[in-house]
Amino acid sequence: MPNFKKEIRNRLAGLRLAPTREAEIVEELAQYLEDCYEELLAGGSTKADALRRTLEKLNYSDLLRKELNEIERPVTREPVVLGATSTHLLSDLLRDLRFGIRMLAKSKGFTLVAVLSLALGIGANTALFSLVDAVLIKTLPVPEPERLVLFECRAGRLFRTSGMSGSQFVPGPPGTKGLSLFRDDVFERMRQVQIASPDSPLSDFFVFAPTRELTAVVDEQAEIIKGQVVSGGYYAGLRVQPRLGRVINDADDQSGAAPVVVLSHQYWQERFGENPAVIGQTLRLNKLPFTIIGVTPPGFNGTLQVDYRPEVTIPLHQEPMLEGERSRLGTPKRPGVWWLNLMGRLKPGATYEQARESLNVTFQAAALEVMPPPRRADQPAQLEPKDYPRLIAESGSRGMLDHRRSYSGAIYGLFIVVGLVLLIACGNVANLLLARAAMRGPEISVRLAVGAGRWRLVRQLLTESVLLAALGGAVGILFAFWCKSALLTMTDQDTGILPNGVELSLNWRVLVFTLAVSLLTGVLFGLVPAWRATRVGLATSLKQSRRTTGPVSRLSKVLIVAQVALSLLLLLGAGLFLRTLSNLQQVNLGFNQENLLLFKLQPQVGGYKDESLRQFYQQLFQRLDNLPGASMATFGKVTLIANDNWFFDILLPGETEMTVGERHMTNRQVIRENYFATLEIPLLRGRGFTAKDDQHTPKVGIVNQTFTRQFFPNEDPLGKRITIIEGKSEIEIIGVVADTKYMSQREELKPLLYTPWQQEVANIGEMSFMLRTMSEPTALAGAVRQVVHELDSNLPVMDVSTQTKRAQATLEQERISARLLSFFGGLALLLAAIGLSGVLAYSVAQRTNEMGIRMALGAKASNVLRLVIWQGIKLVLVGLAFGALIGYGLKRLMASQYFGEGAWQRQLAKQLFEVSATDPLTLAAIVSLLLLVALIACWLPARRAAKVDPLKALRYE
Amino acid sequence: MIDRDLKRGSTEMLIMAMVEDRPRHGYEIGKLIDQRSDGVLQFHVASLYPLLYRLEKRGLIKGRWVEKPGERRRRFYTLTSTGRKILAEQRRTWKDFFAALDRVAGINPA
Repeated sequence: MPNFKKEIRNRLAGLRLAPTREAEIVEELAQYLEDCYEELLAGGSTKADALRRTLEKLNYSDLLRKELNEIERPVTREPVVLGATSTHLLSDLLRDLRFGIRMLAKSKGFTLVAVLSLALGIGANTALFSLVDAVLIKTLPVPEPERLVLFECRAGRLFRTSGMSGSQFVPGPPGTKGLSLFRDDVFERMRQVQIASPDSPLSDFFVFAPTRELTAVVDEQAEIIKGQVVSGGYYAGLRVQPRLGRVINDADDQSGAAPVVVLSHQYWQERFGENPAVIGQTLRLNKLPFTIIGVTPPGFNGTLQVDYRPEVTIPLHQEPMLEGERSRLGTPKRPGVWWLNLMGRLKPGATYEQARESLNVTFQAAALEVMPPPRRADQPAQLEPKDYPRLIAESGSRGMLDHRRSYSGAIYGLFIVVGLVLLIACGNVANLLLARAAMRGPEISVRLAVGAGRWRLVRQLLTESVLLAALGGAVGILFAFWCKSALLTMTDQDTGILPNGVELSLNWRVLVFTLAVSLLTGVLFGLVPAWRATRVGLATSLKQSRRTTGPVSRLSKVLIVAQVALSLLLLLGAGLFLRTLSNLQQVNLGFNQENLLLFKLQPQVGGYKDESLRQFYQQLFQRLDNLPGASMATFGKVTLIANDNWFFDILLPGETEMTVGERHMTNRQVIRENYFATLEIPLLRGRGFTAKDDQHTPKVGIVNQTFTRQFFPNEDPLGKRITIIEGKSEIEIIGVVADTKYMSQREELKPLLYTPWQQEVANIGEMSFMLRTMSEPTALAGAVRQVVHELDSNLPVMDVSTQTKRAQATLEQERISARLLSFFGGLALLLAAIGLSGVLAYSVAQRTNEMGIRMALGAKASNVLRLVIWQGIKLVLVGLAFGALIGYGLKRLMASQYFGEGAWQRQLAKQLFEVSATDPLTLAAIVSLLLLVALIACWLPARRAAKVDPLKALRYE
Repeated sequence: MIDRDLKRGSTEMLIMAMVEDRPRHGYEIGKLIDQRSDGVLQFHVASLYPLLYRLEKRGLIKGRWVEKPGERRRRFYTLTSTGRKILAEQRRTWKDFFAALDRVAGINPA
């Protein structure tokens, strides 16, 4: 007998089987060959012939090796040969993809509905993520932004500093946010230390800060713009190259240097038409000439808050020139203000902590010198080292972060909404896939029966669902473009939901997000249906024809219930906001807001003050009073219903600052004599102001009803004298007028004190004008500009609007919330309706012959109709119950300690107006709407069921 | 794709059918399929044994070394209870499949 074992062993050599296993296989195969050999000999072959023919059996040893390799696990793994394995995987994947595309193309309706559902969900998420990216993630467009470091300070005890708007405190113990503002002299001392030490961890150290609003005159047109000041090292430290000309350097940043200004790219585009000849020209800021030296590159909007984009940048030490006495750098008489943001650039390899340490000592010394220590009766005068203000260093890669953080609440709130919509879309597609998988039952069981592995089939089905999601994602990006412009309309300065001037771009981060969401949703909604589809009992479903498959699966029902519940929540939100909006629009403001033209002037910026200011207004009113088309012209310090306010603490008669218990606060308004007549606010008691109430007569005031109720509940306010604590001015009350809304439609009525303008010359710098017109107010805007221009061509007319528009603008946030929630709620409802209809249609198709039998036995079409509709409505009712339950749970959860002592609930309550979160009317309306839509969704497939011809239905059986 | 599945599925069923009644060794199984199909279905050693191992791994058949006095020890395969169930299902499936083919294309020899 020839030794076959050796032959076989040679051919299995590469397999590296376990020795015992290999011995077994060799033995078994050798026996086979021996049997062959013996049989051939017995059949009369010669030994040589038999051997040759037996060995031929091993000809396909490649195949043998390959097959065995698949089945038997080698003891030691072969080194992974990347090319070899991946070709196999890739070719499988390609085959799956081709097959998937064919299957999707075969059922176009299904594909269309699924892709559109997903596109809406994914698109909304993409758009919102682009917002998150722009506001919270994106770094500054400068080289190596991660090396920028931003400084703050914090103290163990509250220190008092003077800030841009009155006094502020260096915050206390950990947990409180640090103060990110510094004073010029403190910065200068730190900068000297940084420059002097060659091994400082910082290569650059600079400051920047916003200016007050500036008046710029371009082409004879005056306008108000935003500006910033920067120290000489700012642009060099950020490594920002100018688009045109040069940027500010250390030589410019000296008091006494020639005044220069750098324009932002956007400002250069919009106001100078990208004219390169602007370099060297003069731009007048607050009437002073500044030479334009450069334009910053596009996309670079500075390092200040995300919503503050300065149009012009000037050197820090030229600020006193612009502001004069009001300079924040300080004057010989007055120390400077804490208003500068400190930033540095780390040398390669340096850390934030090193940067902090290198400057902390200098900072502490300088700060303790200039900051008055905390002084309160209950605090010991002695300061301990742990109470000293100290420096904190954090990442500056995204510029100033405070405002970015303040938008995160609104953005994440929106994310919850669009996330819910995506979930509903996923539920929908999962449901469609479940129904389809049931329809494809026979196909799948044939393939299982003929030997396809289950995992192989799951993979195939998953490929299809991921393909669907990818298509959805692609269409979703188109939808995201549309959403983006919708989101940008929410960045209006009045609403403040989103930062003003933010740029949304679909960059790689956003696209990666979309891709990830698409893949995730694809797997999410595809996995369960695929798993279930391949679980089909082998024989059972093959035998069953399409008409007799089982009822709607429980999972389908659960999905429908969940969709209905989520839709209910979203729609409920929408309903509450719509109610709020309509309530707010119907609020009685207390004055006639129709036909009022508004505009603002800031003559004090142009140098008017005291007597010249008074005369300017006198002259202006003379002209406005005679303007054709206008019946009355007046002004007030505060624009009404514009989220604008001005309030003071007062002392009632007989009180002094020492004896006063709780503080009495009142809103204030400085007005022209004809203010009440112009706005049609009724004077209830006493007299109104006259032109004779001027600086030469005793100070008088008029109060509203709430003022009387609150401060003089049982007395006659007329003739009473109150004192405004700031300025110590005593005012006699001479009249009472009806209440009006002040800041917004939403706020409660508060005490309001009116004073005549000629007695308040110090307070009438910026005034808000109101013109009562005979017709459409905006028609007079041109005439008003003309009047102001004739009086002073350098004075810009600002914020021209009408009172109704202004009042509408304060409701923008509510309007957007209502619109967004309605849109997404409607979307959710539509998706849920499609899902419901689809599942019922599937069920009807499955039960065609049951319906036939029922009708053959005498059931009427209406019975069948009712049967099917009831099947759907049952699910909807369960969904509504769950939705209500979840809503109640959420409400309880938000009210619980877990969410910061009901902060969320307060937040919610603050959002709503004169409607409670559990308003029965809204609930009833939304539930009816949902039921109505559900009825239509059920009726469509039910009608088909009722139309079943019993004869036809039974013939199929 | 169906083609590949089909081929594998059918050969698996053939092997299971061969060891349904009594244990057989590999050579015998190949021989028997050859004989019963009048030489139409032939198994190559390179595909027969891997298939046997695969079925064994999936628990549909079970192989056992049997030693008899005076004979070489041989590995005999028997059908497991799972294999029996799957075989029955596959038979039904194929019957339906052929019935369907017949109704459509008229291929029933009878």
